Amino acid sequence: MTEGRPQLPVDITRRRFLQGTALAGTAAFLAACGTPPQTGGGSASSSAAASESAGAGASASASASAGATPASSGTLRFANWIGYIDVTEDGSSFPTIEKFQTETGIKVEYSDGAVDANETFFTSDLQAPLQAGQPTEWDLAVLTDWMVARLVRLKWLETIDTSLTPNFVANLADNLKARSFDPDTNLAAPWQSGMTGIGFDKNKTGDQTSLDVFFDTKFKGKLTYLSEMRDTVGLAAIRQGNKPEELTQEQFDAALADVQKAVKDGIVRQVTGNSYVEDMAGGGVVLAMAWSGDVLTLLVPDQKPDQDFQWELPKEGGMLWTDNMVIPKGATNKAQAERWIDFYYEPQNAATIEAYVNYVCPVKGAKEVMLESDADLANNPLIFPPDDWTSRLHIFRGTTADEDKSWSEAFTKAMGL
Amino acid sequence: MRRALHLRAAAPYLLLLPGLLWLVIFYVYPAFQMFLTSLWTGNLDTGYQQTWNWGIYQEAISEYWPWLARSIVYGGLATVLAFALGFPLAYAIAFRGGQYKNVLLFLVIAPFFTSFLLRTISWKIILADSGLVLGPLKEIGILPEEFRLLATPAAVVAGITYNFLPFMTLPLYVALEKIDKRLIEAAEDLYAGPWRPQGTLAGVAIGGVLGLVVGLVMDYGPFALSIPFGLAGAAIGTWLISQAFIRVTLPLALPGIFAGSLLTFIPAVGDFVNAELLGNPQSLMIGNVIQARYLQVTDYPTASALSFILMLAILIGLFIYARIIGTEELTGASI
Repeated sequence: MTEGRPQLPVDITRRRFLQGTALAGTAAFLAACGTPPQTGGGSASSSAAASESAGAGASASASASAGATPASSGTLRFANWIGYIDVTEDGSSFPTIEKFQTETGIKVEYSDGAVDANETFFTSDLQAPLQAGQPTEWDLAVLTDWMVARLVRLKWLETIDTSLTPNFVANLADNLKARSFDPDTNLAAPWQSGMTGIGFDKNKTGDQTSLDVFFDTKFKGKLTYLSEMRDTVGLAAIRQGNKPEELTQEQFDAALADVQKAVKDGIVRQVTGNSYVEDMAGGGVVLAMAWSGDVLTLLVPDQKPDQDFQWELPKEGGMLWTDNMVIPKGATNKAQAERWIDFYYEPQNAATIEAYVNYVCPVKGAKEVMLESDADLANNPLIFPPDDWTSRLHIFRGTTADEDKSWSEAFTKAMGL
Repeated sequence: MRRALHLRAAAPYLLLLPGLLWLVIFYVYPAFQMFLTSLWTGNLDTGYQQTWNWGIYQEAISEYWPWLARSIVYGGLATVLAFALGFPLAYAIAFRGGQYKNVLLFLVIAPFFTSFLLRTISWKIILADSGLVLGPLKEIGILPEEFRLLATPAAVVAGITYNFLPFMTLPLYVALEKIDKRLIEAAEDLYAGPWRPQGTLAGVAIGGVLGLVVGLVMDYGPFALSIPFGLAGAAIGTWLISQAFIRVTLPLALPGIFAGSLLTFIPAVGDFVNAELLGNPQSLMIGNVIQARYLQVTDYPTASALSFILMLAILIGLFIYARIIGTEELTGASI
């Protein structure tokens, strides 16, 4: 299934690791001992060519969106995670950004890696200016759900003028509309999503489909949890038959109690960020709460003959997290940011980026575009989850200020802190 | 003439100025800010106020003393182990290195050419459950199949020891290298001669006790490690320890021991990378707590208070240590 995919080592750098201290290091390390960058036969290079030709005659949908008065000059300062957009083979430019610049005349100052962890980006780039009522250095930033929820609560985000973003309105995946922290779907525009489920070495564990295995002594000392509260507690809550979308305090406590017991009993070997990948590769960990992208792009390509890594969406359900484009309060170039959001939600553009980053695509129509260029990728359930998966995916609800603090405090305590 | 004199008198202070400025800007000011932050109350959403809430220090200590104690124990063990490994190493290079001294020294610092994080991650590969070290031992049946080093306190202490070994070795080397070899010859002429059986015994005793302590802290039982540690101590003791060593070499090496142990202990206590990557939920250190409090819980006051407490604890420990070892040895005795 993964045969025809461009396996780009940058995929891995997206997710947080050691809460940000460590990103670059691991990336380099894994890149060094991991998959060599292949010449991306199908998607990556051809998409660059495609974007050039499309750039020449500004696309139909862009001119369609020109009903209001979209920005057609100026600058867009865009902070994103490293390796989270298509890039040319030599790493010198970003084809989709180039295409946007040609089409709109807006100059993009794209920062590949300005965001290396939600927490650190918040403290270093947002907190001080926004607290003082000043604009930040960014017009657009990609941040994860829970951080978006915090920014919404603090009223530190600009509202997206959806009359200027018809593609966003039309093409956003249905399950990402009206999320608890963004009821009117005009504060955060999903960039990529990812799923949290069961990662396992089938040769050691057999088939795994149920979350029960995370709380069972069968693989005691050989399984790991995630250090993201919303992933670990979310999965525990789903197992108890509760919905992370509307989790109550009692349900949170009940889920956390299970988690705490498993940690205390030594069932859980470690609570990790991205580093469960190395532990699984080394064989010490055979089962993990895992992010969908990691298993296929990092573990499978390098597995030893006696290993068989799999990722499964649990039958009870799994978590769906999303990284979203948001416009910080007072952004100088808000109209340019909106123009970019609209541009991204053109299926052709989303498909080009998707072929490179390989997470879950939030743009309707991108699959159809991709079916023509790379059918394998388009049919990969980890990138375009089928409907029976979507119905089992849960989004952790936005938390209040008090919950934010007391829940993360309770969680870190349960994790041994 | 007067002006020239003035300048000359002021010169030392002028030379101090850049260093002092650096310290004020990057140490004193942030430390003061951190102190003020620790006395805030409030939360992220409603904002923080300076309320001089001194109670937070008591709360932080009563809640987090086990993590503080654990950090000091792990940091202390790592320092002692780094000394046990680093001293013979530095001694061998300084006294027996000959023409290879520079090459050997380079090898000591070579790991520093890769990042701290990468070095720690490679330990995950070395210590993997069926990896380089444990795989063969399990194969021949010395260790049970379910034995593991990763995600245990032993791995954390081993990781810290390894990561800070050069900080211990280099000051020791400098101190040992400075020793005038004729002093040792003179001591030997004055009947402070070789001491083989006693040296062996001393080595066994030191190694055995160290093994006992490590074994107990790591939960391997009192004797599992005493035997290998005792044997290693015997080998090193036979070779190293003599009358002349105890009366001449060791006292002259004290400044190096002092500097090396501080350079190792201080960062070791505050380290969080090794505990995060190589430890388990039962072996997390105070650095992990501070990080989680600051970044995840956004409880800035408690995080700051804990940082401040850690700093104070280390300063007090340092003061006592300096008193015991004596500042004289540090300043003049080796000349």
